[in-house]
Amino acid sequence: MIDALGTARVALVVAFTLLGLFFTFVSMTGVLRLPDVYSRAHTASQADTLGAGFGLAAVALTIGWEAAGVKSVLLLFFIFVTNPTAAHAIARAAFEEGTVPWTEGDERR
Amino acid sequence: MADTDAAGDADDEGAGSGTAGGDAADRSGDDADRGAPAAPTGGLVVPVEPTPTLRATIAYAVEAAVDDGFSTIHLVEIASWRNGDPDADSRAAKAERVLERAEAWANSDLDDLDGDRPPVTVATELIGADEYLFGPDDYVRVLAAYAKEHDAGAVLLDPEYTPVGNTTLLQPLEFALSNTSLTVETAPVTRPTRRERLRSEATGGRFVAMFGFSLAFYLLLGDPFYWFDWVTGIATAAIVSITLSRVSIDTEPAIPRTPMRVVRGVIYVPVLLFEIVKANVEIARVILDPRLPIEPTLNRMRVIVGSGLPLMTLANSITLTPGTLTVRARDSDLYVHSLIPSARDGLFDGSLERWTRFVYYGRASARLPTPRERDDCAILQGPDATEELPIAAADGGAEPSESGETPPEPDEGSDAATPEVTDG
Repeated sequence: MIDALGTARVALVVAFTLLGLFFTFVSMTGVLRLPDVYSRAHTASQADTLGAGFGLAAVALTIGWEAAGVKSVLLLFFIFVTNPTAAHAIARAAFEEGTVPWTEGDERR
Repeated sequence: MADTDAAGDADDEGAGSGTAGGDAADRSGDDADRGAPAAPTGGLVVPVEPTPTLRATIAYAVEAAVDDGFSTIHLVEIASWRNGDPDADSRAAKAERVLERAEAWANSDLDDLDGDRPPVTVATELIGADEYLFGPDDYVRVLAAYAKEHDAGAVLLDPEYTPVGNTTLLQPLEFALSNTSLTVETAPVTRPTRRERLRSEATGGRFVAMFGFSLAFYLLLGDPFYWFDWVTGIATAAIVSITLSRVSIDTEPAIPRTPMRVVRGVIYVPVLLFEIVKANVEIARVILDPRLPIEPTLNRMRVIVGSGLPLMTLANSITLTPGTLTVRARDSDLYVHSLIPSARDGLFDGSLERWTRFVYYGRASARLPTPRERDDCAILQGPDATEELPIAAADGGAEPSESGETPPEPDEGSDAATPEVTDG
């Protein structure tokens, strides 16, 4: 299958995959390093959106203009709607529990 | 029926507003005592629209008129059309019916009061049909002229009042009214339960829109060139639209408006994608920096977009853009957590708000001052804090309370003990 693709396309697929991996890595690092639930919700959802986004873009590019490729684009839109909704749900739950967002000088938690 | 003098009187009224800055500064304080009675003056003006909360607003208006000694309740409907429009007559007739119903409600409420009927009269009027009214300023001008003419000193707003139908006007209307000499109050009524609203709104337009959308989606997933997928698709789309068209679509699709929104939404997608990538790179740099230079704060921003889909679009766009996370939406106030100051500044510049307005209301409505210029934003934490943090435990996550606001509990100390914190 790869042989059929042009070199430029392969390069793009590789670039997208690497970018997706990079942003997923950033997301993971953020979850481990950031101090509280709010800031983690930022990175867990956001860098992930782009991580999954680039991954799906690579998939769509590999498959080409076929049914499966179109579906991966749809998946991307799906992620773009559900991801912030989930992040909002987490943040709102924390807010209603009375969790005060971390500020400079607080302890990590 | 139209009050032809309104436009003439209005100009001096509108020009005499002044002191916008002072009013804006007072506004956050006003929220707390919104439930307080308005100063008693001759008449109470209630702009009327067929909203779900109209009945409750009328009831409250009657109560307020009796308690505060208003002599007249003016129920006014502001025309969103202009005499001579093709459908002006039918719309005026419709407005008259709404006014008649509102008047009947007000009178029956007055009659039902204990003891004698208080000396309160009810007047109705259809105003503003002699010109096109474009924005909150126009509405306020017409309202102020009417109030002046009829010696009314107070305005009571229905919380769901949206005269144009496709633009939310309550918040800008409140703001513009605060620049006049009128006393303004929003009726502290809660909207009826969602179930009640859902039942009343089944229309063909919604059904067709939902059917078309479901069928298109089904065929996209299936094979549009295979007859069997058409059969199952039509059956599925029919079931979906019968059960869900009243739930999923909350405003009636209209021919020029809905397709235009879709087109403008398509324009918005690449803009949003670009913003996401740009902000993602910035956040990635912060997270990978060994010093982890974050300055997270919680912020409040009052946004001017309609409730429902536009607000959801804006809140989700804010969350999608890295560095900002919508924590809570309370009426038109968004509580947004920001990770770094530049993300917060970007938020207060309001580009996403303008884009959302562009998508839903078109280009002309997108031009508005940034939240910073409107003084509609506040930082709730850290050294730059301008407002106290409304700690959420105090309100228990209830729906907006009767009085509209819950008292904020002071919590300035950043090292304040929060026993609930268990994560991490």
